[in-house]
Amino acid sequence: MTLELVVNGRRFREPVEPHVTLLHFLRDKAGATDVKYGCGEGVCGACTVLLDGVAVNACSVLAVQAEGARVETVAGLGENGSLHPLQQELVERGAVQCGFCTPGVVLGSLEAVRLGLAGDRPTIRRSLAGNLCRCTGYGKIVDAVEAYRDRQGHAS
Amino acid sequence: MSVVRDRPARLVGRALVRHDAVEKVAGRTRYAADFGLPGMLKAALKRADLPHARLLRVDTSAAEAVPGVASILTAKDVPENTVWVDVPGQTFQVGALKARANVLADGVVRYHGEPIAIVAAETEDAALAAVELIDVDYEELAVVTDPRAALEDGAPAVHEEGNLLASWQLHEGDVDAAFGGAHAVVDQSYETQFVDHAYLEPEAGVAWLDSGDVITVRAATQVIEHFRDLARILCVPDNRVRVIAPYVGGGFGGKEDMTVEPFLALVVQRTGRPVRMIWSRSESLLAREKRHPMKLRYRTACDAEGRLVAQDIVIVADGGAYALLSALVLLYATTCAQGPYACPNVRIDARVAYTNHTPASAMRGFGAMQVALGYEGQMDLLAAELGLDPLELRRRNFVERGDTLAVGQRLDTHVALPELADRVEAALGPKPAPSTPERRVGRGVACNLQPYGRCVWLNDWASAWVGFELDGTLVVRIGVPDIGGGQASSLVQVAGEVLGVDPADIVIHIGDSALTPLTGTTTATRQLYMSGNAVLQAAGELREELRPLASELLETEPDDVQFADGGVRSGGRHLPFRDLIGAAAKREVPWHRLSIFRAPGGEAWRSDASWRGRVFPDFTYGCHAVDLEVDSETGHVEVLRYVAAHDVGRAINPQSVEGQIEGAVVMGLGYALSERVVYEDGVNLTGTFAQYLIPTAVEAPEIEPIVVESGEGLGPFSARGIGEPPVGAVAPAVAGALADALGRRLTILPFTPERVAEA
Amino acid sequence: MIPRPFDYERPGSVEEAVAVLAAAGGRDAKLIAGGQSLVPMLSLGLARPDVLVDLSRVELDGIEALGGRVRVGATTCHRTLELDPEVRSLLPLAAEAARHVGNPRVRNRGTFGGSLAHADPAAELPVVALAHGGEIVAHGPGGARRIPLGEFFLGYLETALAPDEVLVAAELERLPEGSGVGFHEEAQRADDFALACAAAVVKPDGRARVVVGGVGDRPLRFDGAPGELAAAVESAVEPEEDAFVSAAFRRRLAGVCARRALAQAREDAAA
Ligand SMILES: Cc1cc2nc3c(=O)[nH]c(=O)nc-3n(C[C@H](O)[C@H](O)[C@H](O)COP(=O)(O)OP(=O)(O)OC[C@H]3O[C@@H](n4cnc5c(N)ncnc54)[C@H](O)[C@@H]3O)c2cc1C
Ligand code: FES
Ligand code: FES
Repeated sequence: MTLELVVNGRRFREPVEPHVTLLHFLRDKAGATDVKYGCGEGVCGACTVLLDGVAVNACSVLAVQAEGARVETVAGLGENGSLHPLQQELVERGAVQCGFCTPGVVLGSLEAVRLGLAGDRPTIRRSLAGNLCRCTGYGKIVDAVEAYRDRQGHAS
Repeated sequence: MSVVRDRPARLVGRALVRHDAVEKVAGRTRYAADFGLPGMLKAALKRADLPHARLLRVDTSAAEAVPGVASILTAKDVPENTVWVDVPGQTFQVGALKARANVLADGVVRYHGEPIAIVAAETEDAALAAVELIDVDYEELAVVTDPRAALEDGAPAVHEEGNLLASWQLHEGDVDAAFGGAHAVVDQSYETQFVDHAYLEPEAGVAWLDSGDVITVRAATQVIEHFRDLARILCVPDNRVRVIAPYVGGGFGGKEDMTVEPFLALVVQRTGRPVRMIWSRSESLLAREKRHPMKLRYRTACDAEGRLVAQDIVIVADGGAYALLSALVLLYATTCAQGPYACPNVRIDARVAYTNHTPASAMRGFGAMQVALGYEGQMDLLAAELGLDPLELRRRNFVERGDTLAVGQRLDTHVALPELADRVEAALGPKPAPSTPERRVGRGVACNLQPYGRCVWLNDWASAWVGFELDGTLVVRIGVPDIGGGQASSLVQVAGEVLGVDPADIVIHIGDSALTPLTGTTTATRQLYMSGNAVLQAAGELREELRPLASELLETEPDDVQFADGGVRSGGRHLPFRDLIGAAAKREVPWHRLSIFRAPGGEAWRSDASWRGRVFPDFTYGCHAVDLEVDSETGHVEVLRYVAAHDVGRAINPQSVEGQIEGAVVMGLGYALSERVVYEDGVNLTGTFAQYLIPTAVEAPEIEPIVVESGEGLGPFSARGIGEPPVGAVAPAVAGALADALGRRLTILPFTPERVAEA
Repeated sequence: MIPRPFDYERPGSVEEAVAVLAAAGGRDAKLIAGGQSLVPMLSLGLARPDVLVDLSRVELDGIEALGGRVRVGATTCHRTLELDPEVRSLLPLAAEAARHVGNPRVRNRGTFGGSLAHADPAAELPVVALAHGGEIVAHGPGGARRIPLGEFFLGYLETALAPDEVLVAAELERLPEGSGVGFHEEAQRADDFALACAAAVVKPDGRARVVVGGVGDRPLRFDGAPGELAAAVESAVEPEEDAFVSAAFRRRLAGVCARRALAQAREDAAA
């Protein structure tokens, strides 16, 4: 089949076999290696991307199911080479260690904040439960999301 | 009281943003699996379906017929199929000083998931299809899965030489006599479980043939020095193999032994083509090395004041099917088994056995963490026996500077335990009340010690290259693999501190066995200690080399020259490095430096129980406390509060130190409450990430790290290692809190809801 | 691992989907909706269909009140159940239970129909559906067919759907005015499948219903007086033992979940 989709603003028209997951398509065909393989089971969140604005685990979506969609990955976030404010908070608050979970954490948190599911620390933790991190113990990630949420509050 | 020695005001001690964090958060870091070469093959492994069986026939003919398959290798195709892991200091009763594993199973498979064949194909689809078509005839062999049973006569033999993999024996003082006269004795067994590292990045790598016929492997590893092992396997000279470690997505010891490297290198040697291998999460859970489970028996005696008089300790560890680092892990357990407590009479019988389980090897805490469940459990039991506060009993027994551990190691740096205990106690406040009637609240404390740096008799060394470019920017070259702990960025901080260069003007090249000076493994909490000292030394020597020239150009005494603000200064005069280095280049004054830092060495532990001496360079100490709430109906445990204090000597980057503590505490909580690899007769049933339960952000509590800086440690600027130490105190603190809440002590890890509910 | 190859069809209507399924003949054809169970199973090698029939171009989502029932379209995603204010008022039990389904991204894509058709015994939404009662609406080669919910779940990953039928909606009975509802779940971690879960309804006439999940090969329904139900559940269920959790412990959790869900439901009814 021929698959047409847009990844971080770039249009792709590529032959793809139906059994290829969106994760593999993005990594192998679209050069989006910022989307990570952590489990392939929908458990770890390392493969999080926005599919038409909605956060999904790219490992649990077939590429053909994304036909015509707009895909955003963490690499498409910042403007003109500068970091998105949430990325900035994560860096400054020491929430990045090995960094393998980080792309998924960024996109997962962005959706949580956008949907108003980042009210207090326990709520942020609930919203992030599907983004496993083995390095940080999560505290500094929650700090960063809280700070970003507050920034948003001031902005709006 | 914390002593902070002559704190330099510049970079060290500041929570500087890690230079790698920006790239990582933007998704630009190229991890092992993110790299590729045109036309590369994709490789996959055929793994054993059974835990113990003779391979009667491995038929690859159908697999070879799959379109796109380029090559299939079995044991007979491996030039040298035996991998030796050198374990100097191993006891003589057990034989050779070396441990042995196979690259590919040869005749017999000894654990579920052991690699049997490598398939390399044009596509992943073809490789997987071929793997499924490899036809293996097995003759099932008897399985042994309990390390104690494995050591009994008549147990099924995992290896011909017998199932005893290694043993350490120690007897200091007269334990039996001391028990006779003791005021109180507690006797308890404990058990720890198989644990997976569960880093988020599964094992992966790419390899190719580079010019000069150098087989180059770029893989997620903590140890680029495996290039020598690869050379052995390939039967090529050492200088024809190169290992590159990109930034690693978590290691924790699991990328210390080789993972994908030998398979990749063999395919390159066989085909001459580039190749990639990525393990699935299931493969990683199934077959990659685990943390050693240990069965511990502790008999501990004290006098009427609660001072320890004797410890009698038996350790039996499960080493799994092959000997990797088991002997060393057991050595750490033996050395640390008495805990951070003075005790005149100590007897330790430590053995590790082969079983038909996944091989056990290095994991954060490396043997020293498993025994904490035992020595801290004993302290709680004695405190209860004597009616003393658990922390008070510990205070009466803390080791002090100048004390000697049973193994004969004198503690010559500051032991901050009393202060750590005070800080933890002050931070805790009153114990909270239960939130609902069916819930109970408990509080637990635990202290621990963990070595940093390798055994002294390994004569550890690390080298580093520090040099300026002609434009005054700085380059550090060092073979350190960065596994996420900020290894590289700490070195930038150290170099910048010494030379007065802004971290933004420093680039560090790491992790390349051919191009960066070798600096040893990122393991054993040694990297900041060793490579930090190497960079400190190289940068310091470079500074002194440039000083005379600087003094001449600044027209001042050499001692008045300061290296600061991107140049050299004296009084009001400042010369940027660009000018200084320009002048140096003209005058043939060197502007770069290669240095080797050597850790103090020592004599190897001999076979007999009377050997005494130094084992480790030094220790990091900790004290933790936890408040938790137990739902007595469901066994659900909620951690309410967690305080973790460590003396890190000097915090090079306090934010990184906190990050290490917080991450280790949560890893420790997973170990305490939920994580285990479950086997049934040697068959690993934990094949998915949904089954291997690492804590999520919900289970992880708010953690209060307390960073104490005694100003004493063997690392650069008096730092102590902090990568491993915080993981050890967690499970015993939780065990104590559960005992406090339930009135009964759990002794078998993990403390799952089911075990808690039934306690 | 990655999925093994299969063929793929993307029909534009239920009729087309049914036709594709029916045309599969001896080949194993499977529907894919949100893919949140199926794609991981493909990757793990636990499912190996010959043909996948994608429902993503078939419009089956939406929630609609129909007199005494609420019709939930098959492709309505878990996230809608969780967050939509209308669902919260029409189907408060579903809203509460949906929060427990997987992680946010699973809920963003996973569908109500997929969850019912997949029939994982530990899944929350089948439990909720059974607590409401009502009918499943399925389309097959012979047209529409209605299956009472009480007859729908047949066993582990097994339902009354024929291989060539598409589940198009569930019509759930609305609870009588003044009913109270409760949902309780025990899982190993946040977002994990339930070890045990229970949905409870206390009706104004004082009668109660509890449905428990995770403790048998399908969700199990119990009706009776609120005070007796939890004990009835605990003595009646016969969970399977596995290497991770004992049968006795699951039974115990079933009792606790039932008791707590009922307590919530009574509180809710009183409020
Ligand atoms: C990490 C993770 C955690 C999860 N946790 C939970 C949890 O806690 N609780 C829970 O309930 N679920 C959980 N799930 C599963 C999730 O809820 C699935 O979304 C749901 O079970 C299936 O819905 P789907 O639309 O994704 O179906 P698919 O995955 O697309 O399909 C599932 C099955 O249903 C069939 N099917 C789908 N739609 C139809 C239809 N309309 N007609 C007939 N047959 C159909 C398919 O053929 C397939 O056999 C979890 C999943 C993951 C990955
Ligand atoms: S890789 Fe997709 S959730 Fe883990
Ligand atoms: S930073 Fe390593 S997994 Fe999160």
